[in-house]
Amino acid sequence: MSSDQDHLKETDTEARFEFKKEEKSAFEAEKGLTEETIRVISEDKDEPEWMLERRLRALEQYHEMPMPDDWPGAPDISEVDVDEIVPYIRPDIETRGGVDDWNDLPEEIQDTFDKLGIPEAEKNALSGVGAQYESEIVYQNMQERWEEKGVIFCDMDKAVQEHEEIVEEYFMTKAVPPSDNKFAALHGAIWSGGSFVYVPEDTTVDMPVQAYFRMNSDGMGQFEHTLIIAEEGSEVHYIEGCSAPKYSEFNLHSGGVEVFVKEGAHVQYSTVQNWSKNTYNLNTKRAIAEADATMEWVSGSMGSKATMLYPSTILKGPGATDNHITIAMAGEGQDIDTGAKVYHNAPDTKSTIESKSIAKDGGRTNYRGLVHMANGAEGASTSVECDALMFDNDSTSDTMPYMEIQENEVDVAHEATVGKIGDEDVFYLQSRGLDDDDAKQMIVAGFIEPITEELPIEYAVELNRLIELEMEGSLG
Amino acid sequence: MSTQVHANLTEAQVTEISEQLDEPEWLLETRLDALAALDELDMPDVITTPGPRHWTNLVDLDYESLVDPLEWEQEKDRVEAEGADVLAWDEALAEHGDLIEEQFGSVVDPQRDFLTALSTALFSAGTLVYVPEGVAAEDVKIRTTQNSRSLFNYTLVVVEESASATILERQSIGADVEGDQYYSGVVEVVAGENANVQYGALQNLGEDTYNFQVKRGHAADHASVDWIEGNIGSRLTKSSVETRLLGEGSESQIVGAFFGHDDQHFDINSRVWHEHEHTTADLVTRGVLDDEARSVYEGVQDVGTDAWDTSSYQRENTLMLSDDSEADASPKLIINNHDTEASHSATVGQVDAEELFYMTSRGVDEERAKNMLVEGFFVPVLEEVAVDELREDMDELIVERLTE
Repeated sequence: MSSDQDHLKETDTEARFEFKKEEKSAFEAEKGLTEETIRVISEDKDEPEWMLERRLRALEQYHEMPMPDDWPGAPDISEVDVDEIVPYIRPDIETRGGVDDWNDLPEEIQDTFDKLGIPEAEKNALSGVGAQYESEIVYQNMQERWEEKGVIFCDMDKAVQEHEEIVEEYFMTKAVPPSDNKFAALHGAIWSGGSFVYVPEDTTVDMPVQAYFRMNSDGMGQFEHTLIIAEEGSEVHYIEGCSAPKYSEFNLHSGGVEVFVKEGAHVQYSTVQNWSKNTYNLNTKRAIAEADATMEWVSGSMGSKATMLYPSTILKGPGATDNHITIAMAGEGQDIDTGAKVYHNAPDTKSTIESKSIAKDGGRTNYRGLVHMANGAEGASTSVECDALMFDNDSTSDTMPYMEIQENEVDVAHEATVGKIGDEDVFYLQSRGLDDDDAKQMIVAGFIEPITEELPIEYAVELNRLIELEMEGSLG
Repeated sequence: MSTQVHANLTEAQVTEISEQLDEPEWLLETRLDALAALDELDMPDVITTPGPRHWTNLVDLDYESLVDPLEWEQEKDRVEAEGADVLAWDEALAEHGDLIEEQFGSVVDPQRDFLTALSTALFSAGTLVYVPEGVAAEDVKIRTTQNSRSLFNYTLVVVEESASATILERQSIGADVEGDQYYSGVVEVVAGENANVQYGALQNLGEDTYNFQVKRGHAADHASVDWIEGNIGSRLTKSSVETRLLGEGSESQIVGAFFGHDDQHFDINSRVWHEHEHTTADLVTRGVLDDEARSVYEGVQDVGTDAWDTSSYQRENTLMLSDDSEADASPKLIINNHDTEASHSATVGQVDAEELFYMTSRGVDEERAKNMLVEGFFVPVLEEVAVDELREDMDELIVERLTE
């Protein structure tokens, strides 16, 4: 381990995540969702006509679609009332579309990201960083050597302007159409900000690019859109981090992520999310993997009041691979409903899903997964492993995997276990001089190690620190 | 809600069935209430997968043409064990009227859903198995042969404290029934303190039969309720096998095997509720699908808040022999007590190519090698069947199907 990560160890994570800035915005949309609001957003962003049309069509679909409230054991999201949230806030900065030097940011925004340790991380370990504050990207930078190779990493609004043709082709047309679900439609109508990543053929971006999203205002919604296109034989690792401090009203996060992994390409999408505990996190994330491509999802779901998130991959070409690694932790008042969906639509496709969850203090974790093997996916194989760890009797942990198998030449295996924290393990550690809290923290760290191993080191450290914080709260 | 059967049914018909069986007033009332409730009741839940896709279509079945309440014919063999009563419904009511009044509908709600209520209103083939305290009743047999278009069967099993019962039920079709049929079976098992009940059922109904079954047991302190559920016949089966572990240290094992071919459809549920301390459950199901057969399987292990020190296990394996067959599986864990060790697993696969190659390289022809592997696939489930006769019958039916 190098000193690259020192800033993460030294920073007090609680202070990093729980502070809040006075709101100061240049434009704030009216609460609620109307055609007028959407026209304002689109005009404000100087969007081409087709994008406005897509937004309006998505709005129509949003009004037509039912809430996803008929699922067995789904979180209660009845409180989510779009009429009560502010869908769009542009922070008060001069530079539209972000600046490329942290020092050019207004002081309080700079301060915010400093506390989160983002500038340090950029200097030390990343190929590029984008930072979104409320609805807009405020900082965007990409190392020159990648730009020279034709790699594009910019915010989504800018991509609409500067890379219109690509965006028009891929934006909510193939992977996440607005008709997918009510919140995808909502997202399609009022999306703002997010990242655009384009990696040309046979180009390997060997350091991760990172985007950081932060919700700072009360009662707002955040709807960033991320579009990643990895052309044939290319490789990229994208990291997304999210956090929002705690407010009295509820927040809504309804992002959209679309990933296109072309033939032989390799994309890893990693995220550690630590939304405040009044945030409803209702996201749609989907990747389409062509022949021999590899898609990897690594995610940690830490915060939020309720999360409904099932990153999904369509294995479209023969030999495509998908790996999911997820960890969820739910404490008091939290309902984390998450899992993975994989569609094996071509022969010899492979997937693995590894999911770990921890429930404590009345929290609820649920693994909800779907593995679909289409007729014609001969030679496909999947392995799903879910493990849940429970701390106390106020918590619940459910596993609801679904397997739809239409092809006989396949290999499908699902395995799940639920267990309590081992009394013997705790006793053993205590007898070696550790106190109860430390012993339990150690056991949890061991439990999630297979996941943290897959994360870039600074994220693994952050994840561990977040879990420690959660545990201190409960056991202290 | 579909009211097509209801339109075809009258209180007079229900009353006639009840009179034929010389039933007491309360039971007639229960039947009439169930009949009246049909308007309000929904079809039983079927398994859905995200989409949401409903795999089993019960709503569009033409019950009106399937159900003929007064025209029922069956052959029934009942083999009694010493010290226990295995009685036809009219005899049972005469001899154990109070017991039936006390227990009827205590395990399976007579109005649990449309098809159960239909069964409550119309059942004419009924059996009581009563095992008094301390008695061990081995080899109780109930064989039902359906000889009419529709047949509504009901079985109540009451096994008292420290008693045990091994019951083997077979359902098959008589040779002379033509056209589509409907078979409905409800089984209630009440296991008293420290009682052991093993209820094995082997369904080999005709392949024009729509088959609806609910089997549910209550286990008191230290009691065990074990189920064996073999599904070979029928065109469409909707079957639920359930145990509520209500007593401290109670246990349940649910062993299932199914073998579908042609265009058979199986919708199979296994469910266990852990509701008390130190309870144990083990759910094992294996199924084979050939041709265009389809299975949807859902297993649920539900661990309640008070179920301290629970152990709960589930395995479901499906073997697919043809590319037109489809299998959906959803083994669910619902855990509300942290002092739990629970696991579930499910696999879907084909006959192992290497094993097949090994056998053919040893001179076994391919067809035979495949059959041997399919037989072998069922072995772990058959091993769990303690009743020799049931195991042998099941094995025989599997071999029969393989060599068809």
